[in-house]
Amino acid sequence: MRARVEAAPKFLNLLQIRFPIGAIASIGHRISGVLLVLSLPLLALALDRSLHSEAEFAVLRDLVSAPWRAVLLALLVWAATHHLLAGIRHLLMDVGIGSGLSQARTSAWAAIVAAAIVALIAAARWLA
Amino acid sequence: MRLSIYRFNPETDLKPRMQDYELAPEAGDKKLLDALMRLKTIDDSLSFRRSCREGVCGSDAMNINGRNGLACLTPLVGLKEPVVLRPLPGFPVIRDLIVDMTQFFAHYHSIKPYLINDTVPPERERLQSPAEREKLNGLYECILCACCSSFCPSFWWNPDKFIGPAGLLQAYRFISDSRDTATAERLAYLDDVYRLFRCRTIMNCTEVCPKGLSPSHAIERIRQALVRESS
Repeated sequence: MRARVEAAPKFLNLLQIRFPIGAIASIGHRISGVLLVLSLPLLALALDRSLHSEAEFAVLRDLVSAPWRAVLLALLVWAATHHLLAGIRHLLMDVGIGSGLSQARTSAWAAIVAAAIVALIAAARWLA
Repeated sequence: MRLSIYRFNPETDLKPRMQDYELAPEAGDKKLLDALMRLKTIDDSLSFRRSCREGVCGSDAMNINGRNGLACLTPLVGLKEPVVLRPLPGFPVIRDLIVDMTQFFAHYHSIKPYLINDTVPPERERLQSPAEREKLNGLYECILCACCSSFCPSFWWNPDKFIGPAGLLQAYRFISDSRDTATAERLAYLDDVYRLFRCRTIMNCTEVCPKGLSPSHAIERIRQALVRESS
């Protein structure tokens, strides 16, 4: 019997695709960008409130001192660092600097590892 | 060896499934394509394209253990088992590992992949200096297997508008040809937010090209030519 097929299927399960390191740096750039867009207004508001008075600063400090909030802040530090580093990498590659495959692989690894280290340092500092 | 292969028959299946196979490769089976052809003698319903079996025709491009490549150039030695074979990502599946490449070739045609020269032809061929000919190296070798375009996230999300790495590499092959006189028109066609500028320099194309070419480098050169043109 002939099955009724609406449209030809496509294989595009991203979890079953083995991505090169450059693709991981790139998707990280996207994800960190979205996180920054969503969080920056709240962070700017928090900064504004913290500058109002000593009492409001203390309230905010208590708010972010819980461990899970520190992890959240470390995530945002990762987002800012990864977005900055991967963005500089993209800008340099756009003008032909480091756009060879081996250099691009190295710079992708460097951006990913450096952002992770900075985020870990931030987390350790907040949790300490 | 163990294999897990994407199966889809439009006449009997509503959706694709994975089928497991056990196969004992024989002496002389060196490449993945050899194993697939042996498998075909056991299960003749398994469908895949192949022709030259030596990386020249570009027919047997597929997703091998999560990465695109040519079955005929992939050694059996060192392949992680089960070897998972799926069709090229993002392309409509006709049957099993055979994909519909209509759109891919439409993009290729759109960049006018032939020499355009409106001057009177000389009596013999149009000559090039060795330096001019050298510029075509790394460009003319493309076999249009689609490993690059079907591994490009920008092509997955905009397959109808973004020309893709294969088409852009071919476009640059004619832009850099000293005998071609349509460079300005070619660049004007490519100067588009989708056709060229959907490329985000992810470089998946260069990572998987079975011929060792660099479509991302060609795209970079096109962008630079556009900057020179506008300044």
